[in-house]
Amino acid sequence: MTVSSLTQRFEQRTLLLSLLTALVAVSVVSLLVGAGSVSPLQALSILLGSEDSDAHFVVWGLRAPRTLIGIVVGMALGVSGALLQAVARNPLAEPGLLGVSAGAAFAVALALVLGSSAATLRISVAQLGALIGCLCVLGVARWRGVGNDPVRLVLAGAAFSALLGAMTALLLLFDQRSADEVRFWVIGSLAGRRLEDLIAVLPSIAFCTLLVALIARPLSALALGERMASGLGHHPQLIRALVVLCVALLVGAATAIAGPIIFVGLVVPFVARAFAGPDIRRTLWFCLPIGPLIVVSADVISRLVVAPSELPLGVLTALCGAPVLIAVVRARRLPML
Amino acid sequence: MLRSVLRLGLAGVLLSSLVANAHARELDTAFGEIEVPDAPQRVVTLYEGALDATLAAGVTPIGAIASRGSNDVAAYIGEHTDVSALEMVGVTRELNIEAVLRLQPDLILAAPQLSEEQYQLLSRIAPTVVPKTSGFSRDSWKAETQLFGQALGKEAEIDEALENVEQRAAELNERLSDANVGGTAYLVRWMPAGPMVMSSELFSTGVLASTGLIVEDEGLVSEGSAHSDVLSLENLSLIDSDWLFLATLNEDGQQALDAAEQSNAFTRLNVVQQEHVVPVNGQVWSSASGPLAAQAILNDIEQALLP
Repeated sequence: MTVSSLTQRFEQRTLLLSLLTALVAVSVVSLLVGAGSVSPLQALSILLGSEDSDAHFVVWGLRAPRTLIGIVVGMALGVSGALLQAVARNPLAEPGLLGVSAGAAFAVALALVLGSSAATLRISVAQLGALIGCLCVLGVARWRGVGNDPVRLVLAGAAFSALLGAMTALLLLFDQRSADEVRFWVIGSLAGRRLEDLIAVLPSIAFCTLLVALIARPLSALALGERMASGLGHHPQLIRALVVLCVALLVGAATAIAGPIIFVGLVVPFVARAFAGPDIRRTLWFCLPIGPLIVVSADVISRLVVAPSELPLGVLTALCGAPVLIAVVRARRLPML
Repeated sequence: MLRSVLRLGLAGVLLSSLVANAHARELDTAFGEIEVPDAPQRVVTLYEGALDATLAAGVTPIGAIASRGSNDVAAYIGEHTDVSALEMVGVTRELNIEAVLRLQPDLILAAPQLSEEQYQLLSRIAPTVVPKTSGFSRDSWKAETQLFGQALGKEAEIDEALENVEQRAAELNERLSDANVGGTAYLVRWMPAGPMVMSSELFSTGVLASTGLIVEDEGLVSEGSAHSDVLSLENLSLIDSDWLFLATLNEDGQQALDAAEQSNAFTRLNVVQQEHVVPVNGQVWSSASGPLAAQAILNDIEQALLP
């Protein structure tokens, strides 16, 4: 290992540490501010051990769970975005654009119309829908033999998302009662989510973590080309299948707790690559603090702009994410993956 | 100068109302004066308030629109008429004008929000009565009901129905204050992310207020809208009151309560711990209007507050 690569590694490590520190800072801010009457100062005294029961509930009962959920959702979306971009070899691959969120929303709408109540079944159903949506889009793109063509994949994703969206709308037309409950699924939000929901998805997230640890190395070999990866003893087909499973589970979990939060999965890997360079393994490490950083900050803003109400998080990420996507499209140099 | 202009204007208004009374079959609607047939036989109602008023007047309409958030008329309508004989001609937001045409009505009773374009179409089918209501106000439904009553030629029946509602509310008001039940109340619609506070200027909150409860919306509802945005859970204490009426868009208020009770921000409210939360039918409480709906709301209040 050369000296320059050693210093580079050292720099990246400090960078990673400062990102983690920033995440801790944003999380504390997220505990301190909100749309309610509990002021940052009051919240601070709660954190320091004060016993005002109302403020205590707001800080620990409301703001802490949504911060935790924001962190997990941000990690899941960031990592799945990076994984999907790597396996599709396409910097525009975004879980939301690839039919994963629309698939989850459609599955939930279907379950609600078939009579399940909003409280039960939701999480496994959303995850299953995400998996099927993702498989459909990747299937369409691959059948055409254009897995490496960014435009076609995005178009296939957009078409499938639109189709699933239309089918969701159709279901809701047939059964207007579900419309109220499903409205939440059209735009994501961290408000009113419970810690129980988070705990329900933890097993699948843990499974994905394990899976990512196993496939990160073969995945980075895959970046060298299919033949090279096969030559190194990896199985490209298997790796791709595992990554898709992983992405669908992660995004399904995130969508199940927070609803569809678009553009985070697209933006986070871009920022991470800017810090980490092209290696997928380092990119993944950087996604871990950057994803939550973006989601939790967006959530804090969403609480402040229209108090005493809250802006849904999905609206805010779309507002911020759309310009980034446009900037990416306008910058001619799309990174090759 | 200004005063004399005002006087002149006032005299004009009085005069025109006298003229209107003289020719009872000529109605003053949102789209000007219209003439209606003497005894309409085929009435189509394109507004939940109109359906309610028509039934209260003792007339059976042949067509109606579905209740909001449903594919049929509100369930309470079934207590007053044979619902299966009612042809559905669309939903609030989407009228099926061809279905209206097919019924060949001789009178159409529509919602105050009816658009000019739709009015032009409908008024070619039959005289279309559109009330002049604008914005939200507690008592606008009474004027609407009276207008529909005039259109049907059933002024006496409608006046009686309105009087019955007023009497019943006054009576309930008295019994509540005798039982020492009262205080503040909110009407809230529960959404997965939090509650929406319904305006205190709605039909249902107006009926609620007529029984002596103090109905508020804390300035959360902006002028001209029926409800607030979804309130942050952090601000739930704003709706902590003596009584909380909880509705969804559909019939099942209990379902709304079950959903709300999953949130510990909700269960720690005083009003919840005192078990003063009343799940109500959203079809009646947040969609309908009219004397029959008012009676249904008064029933709900009586059952919940005077068990």
